[in-house]
Amino acid sequence: MSTQQNTAVLATSIAMPTTMRSARGLAQRGIRNIRRLPSAFFPAMAMPVFTMIAFAGTFAAITRLPGFPTDRSVNWFMPLGICFGAAFSGIGLGFSTIRDIETRFYDRLLMSPAPRRSLIIGPLLTAWVRVASLCAFVIPMGMLLGVRFTSGLLGLFTLVVAAVGVSTISLGWGLGLAFRFRDMRGAAVMQLTMFVVLYLSSAQMPLPLMRGWLHNVARMNPTTNILRLAREGLVLKTSPDYMSWSNTWGGLLAIAGMATLTLVFARRGLNKLDK
Amino acid sequence: MTVATPFVIPTGIIETTARSRQLSIRQTIALAKRSTYEIARQPALIAPSMFFPIFFAVLSASSFGKTTSIPGFPKVESFMQFTLASTIVQGVLFGSVTGAAALATDIEIGFFDRLLLAPTTRTGILLGRLAGSALFGFFQSAFFLAVLVPFHAPINAGIPGALVMVLSGGIVSLAIGAIMSSVAIRTGSAEAVQGAFPLLFVLLFFSSAFFPRETMSGAYKRIADVNPISYLVEGLRALVLEGFTVSAVVRSLLVPTLICLAAILFALKELRRKLAAL
Repeated sequence: MSTQQNTAVLATSIAMPTTMRSARGLAQRGIRNIRRLPSAFFPAMAMPVFTMIAFAGTFAAITRLPGFPTDRSVNWFMPLGICFGAAFSGIGLGFSTIRDIETRFYDRLLMSPAPRRSLIIGPLLTAWVRVASLCAFVIPMGMLLGVRFTSGLLGLFTLVVAAVGVSTISLGWGLGLAFRFRDMRGAAVMQLTMFVVLYLSSAQMPLPLMRGWLHNVARMNPTTNILRLAREGLVLKTSPDYMSWSNTWGGLLAIAGMATLTLVFARRGLNKLDK
Repeated sequence: MTVATPFVIPTGIIETTARSRQLSIRQTIALAKRSTYEIARQPALIAPSMFFPIFFAVLSASSFGKTTSIPGFPKVESFMQFTLASTIVQGVLFGSVTGAAALATDIEIGFFDRLLLAPTTRTGILLGRLAGSALFGFFQSAFFLAVLVPFHAPINAGIPGALVMVLSGGIVSLAIGAIMSSVAIRTGSAEAVQGAFPLLFVLLFFSSAFFPRETMSGAYKRIADVNPISYLVEGLRALVLEGFTVSAVVRSLLVPTLICLAAILFALKELRRKLAAL
């Protein structure tokens, strides 16, 4: 190994713990903010519960349609609620970043010797903690309302994976927009785009039961695959959407692809802000 | 023995009262114009209340198109026809918050105090603001009908029915505007008005706005049964599905009018309470 390679390895081995230390510090700050500013986190908690209860009650009759993959409307709408909450957990951190930019706190972060990637990894860790608390709150509530996991713990696991994936994607998108807009105009764009992307999928109805233009759009929308992953442990065992590798890999691929794209978008936005 | 002389109001007092009433009306009209221009000048604020209801109507028509065959679902030509009434109510709910938030902003920035310092009619301050919301409600209702009716959403009550729907939309807007204005007057905070909005959204969801009550069961059905929003939407829906009948016209106008009167009286009470506290 040449001296140059040795130096690079040494630099990386020093930088990685520094990155993680800084990211952990930022994550702790984000988590502390949940306690200090509960009003900012409350919508991300309330929204999934509201979506689950309101949609499951209002549209309960859709389970009577021939070919509907579950006989419990709450089984169908709880994953949607969790994905909405996960999306808003990520976007909420985009809002916090805008606030930090506006109050000049972010300038101080940029002046510090913290590695730049920690400014993205830190909020990412916070988003994951938020999603974990979201799932810990919403899933038991759903079970009280009648949710049943038809494939046991594996179904719970795929639901949590989908939620973590959605929060990662939305965090990347939220940070990317925050770094570019740098004021609260970005917040409206974040919310609107996440709403549209989630709704233009199989959010409300399974793909085979949709009609017209939405069927074509939802088929192309990668969010449909993520929702299929989230729901595969909650549908009837006889349904073609039931837990299987063919219903899983599409969701995982969609998460990996979209998360990579949005995190790169965030990193490039940070570089622009840095300049 | 004394003879009671009839009480006669001097002509001068009658003239003064009539003149002050005319002045109050002129001031209310001026304030109504101001609030209407204010809404029209902020397209960024009103765009969501125009765009989102249309988006959700189109989305629902595609998502729930096949649900019209579910037992208990009313006889409709398409899901879009079913959702026409709820689109109007939804849009009007979104839009009427804008007017109330503007009233709260007036309080926040001190414009409300300046109006009180001037010899302005007190009720006109509120009614002028609400008139702007009502006009916007008429416009929204007409816009939603113009955009959605061509997409398999015929109104069985025809053009007279459409006109009644527009009128009803304006009254609903007035009613919701009055309810939210009470919040604005009581709190004096635009943020509180916006914060109260989710309550309306929850009420909308737990009603028969998006799906018929006949298909619901259990607690949801009981909530929808007592939710006034269900009756607002069903009145309008009767015109779309049943045709121009006396029952449909009365239902589409009576419920919003009653809610509107109660809401305006409550808002005026809040205004008097605020004035008394000054």
